[in-house]
Amino acid sequence: MSAVVTEMPAAAPKGRRSSLGGYVPLVPPLTVLLIFFAIPIGMMIGISFQDPKTAAWSLVSYEKFFTDNLMIAGLLRTLVMSGLVAICVTVMAYPVGYFLARSTSRWRAVVFALAIAPELAGVVLRTYGWLIILEDRGFINDALIWSGIVLSPLPLAKNLFGVVVGLTHVVLPFGILAIMTSIQGIDPNLEKAAQILGASRLSVLRHVVFPLSVPGIVSSLLISFTMAASAYATPALLGGARFKVLATMIYEQIMFYTNWPMAAVMALVLLVLMLAFSFAGTRAETRLHKKLNV
Amino acid sequence: MSDIDIELVSVCKTFGDFRAVNDVSLSVPKGEFVSLLGPSGCGKTTTLNMIAGFQEPTSGEIRIRGNCQTRTPPEKRNIGLVFQNYALFPHMTVAENVGFGLRMKGAPRAEIDQAVKAALKSVHLEGLDARYPKELSGGQQQRTALARAIAPKPSVLLLDEPLSNLDLKLREAMRVELKEIQEKLGMTFVYVTHDQEEAMAMSDRVVVMAGGVIAQQGRPEAIYNSPATSFVADFIGKSNILPVAVKQAAGDRREISIGGTPLTLRVEGDASTLATAKFCCIRPEDVRVVDNGAQPLPDDNVFDGTIAKIVNLGAHLDLWVSVDPGMTIKALVRSNRSGTLKTGQPITVSIGAKAIRLLDR
Repeated sequence: MSAVVTEMPAAAPKGRRSSLGGYVPLVPPLTVLLIFFAIPIGMMIGISFQDPKTAAWSLVSYEKFFTDNLMIAGLLRTLVMSGLVAICVTVMAYPVGYFLARSTSRWRAVVFALAIAPELAGVVLRTYGWLIILEDRGFINDALIWSGIVLSPLPLAKNLFGVVVGLTHVVLPFGILAIMTSIQGIDPNLEKAAQILGASRLSVLRHVVFPLSVPGIVSSLLISFTMAASAYATPALLGGARFKVLATMIYEQIMFYTNWPMAAVMALVLLVLMLAFSFAGTRAETRLHKKLNV
Repeated sequence: MSDIDIELVSVCKTFGDFRAVNDVSLSVPKGEFVSLLGPSGCGKTTTLNMIAGFQEPTSGEIRIRGNCQTRTPPEKRNIGLVFQNYALFPHMTVAENVGFGLRMKGAPRAEIDQAVKAALKSVHLEGLDARYPKELSGGQQQRTALARAIAPKPSVLLLDEPLSNLDLKLREAMRVELKEIQEKLGMTFVYVTHDQEEAMAMSDRVVVMAGGVIAQQGRPEAIYNSPATSFVADFIGKSNILPVAVKQAAGDRREISIGGTPLTLRVEGDASTLATAKFCCIRPEDVRVVDNGAQPLPDDNVFDGTIAKIVNLGAHLDLWVSVDPGMTIKALVRSNRSGTLKTGQPITVSIGAKAIRLLDR
């Protein structure tokens, strides 16, 4: 005790100096963020207010975006696609996440590896895999036609269906992790308590596990939505020329029309959209956390 | 059969090579307060989990209210359980928590409300029904957990160390209250604990478990006064346990010598007990300090020694009396003598022959 007391006066000024020094390690990452994130975003905002032809200040690209039916259709398509992916991912991730959080069987490690393994293969690789399975001369259609169930190939790729399938596969591991973490935070004794009070397996899920895992469900929806909305490779490959979402349309504006201001407006709309969803989701989650005390 | 609420018949539970519970048979009559007492790893919680239905016995049978329920899932057993960490549903109010059991059984709203009210009243928690668990103190959470378990009126209530998270004062008050609630409701309580005082204070019967088997069972005073093994003697209360080396019987006079020392003790007991004795147990309160006020009886064992250590327990003092280089005897004396006792001081102690219990293991 006395040793601590005698050391205190000597240590105090040193401690004050090092509290400023604590910010030093933050300088490199902050510099990187500034150069590669803050400045480009600022430039993008600036470009969005330029006239594509004269480079003078103008709102012409904004006006075009919100009046052009093709643009609005692209925005709505992005919303529908991301919403469907978010729902599909969360519905599929829930049982897997629950199993991973609660199982003590030796298969748990295998299921965990299987759930996460797809992340190891690149997005493009996985998307080509789905293309091989889903396209008109793909595995499923070949099998259906060969067995005589259908006469002409089903439209499985180059449309909303194909993109949602592909993106669900890409995003699923993140949904699983979000839900697994949330369920791991629920005291297993709560389930036992409900059971001994007469609740069936289904009632335990409905009245205890599900309400307490809502924060995890919100996270999963949020992650899936933003990942789907910002995905480029999967909609580009599985969506084809007809199925255009904001991400692929931005690429088009730059590569084919070299219309940077238009691309900047679309990118900003996408950014605001995702920020709005994240904000709403995080707020909902904090409120739930407070209410559930978890 | 109908007056036995819980019956375990040769129940075993193994995890891999480890025998957590080994051939345990136990029957608990209706309305009895039974404690499963033992150190951690003795199999008491596994036994409780098997009664609750969370674990299936490897072999043996579990009967509840006379019906074999070895493989019945917990939700169909109609028994209550109070958890060590209470396990209250954090997203439900106190009233919703307490009413959960009846709601799951499909009871009508009015009946649930009435049962919730009655249960909260019996644990003295009226007026807190709209609170959430996190807004309650530890003691109130504990009462809520108890109310939730008794609200559906199960005939059997299992309690898994329910008081271990409370502070000492509250724990002692809850002991009395738990016993009162149990008597008022006439419910069978199976109480798992490692705290021997708790078990002694509340139970009609104490079942001491060690290494997956029942070491001894009986009324608390019977277990305290005549422990069957040195383990029980050591675990229940405090005791001096000494190894017995040589045994002699000459007529009425029976003597043992303590292993590793030249000391001999006069004991009582029949010849067969003497023949099989491996240890002897002496309760510290049976070791008397000899002075002008208290003279030994003619047949007492009297030793001279020195005080090696004094531990103040408040009302009593724990004296460690060194009577031989190989032997220290603990004695319990009243604190009002603390003025006359000093460490290192010579002292004479006496032990009545009746106070020495011979144990064969």
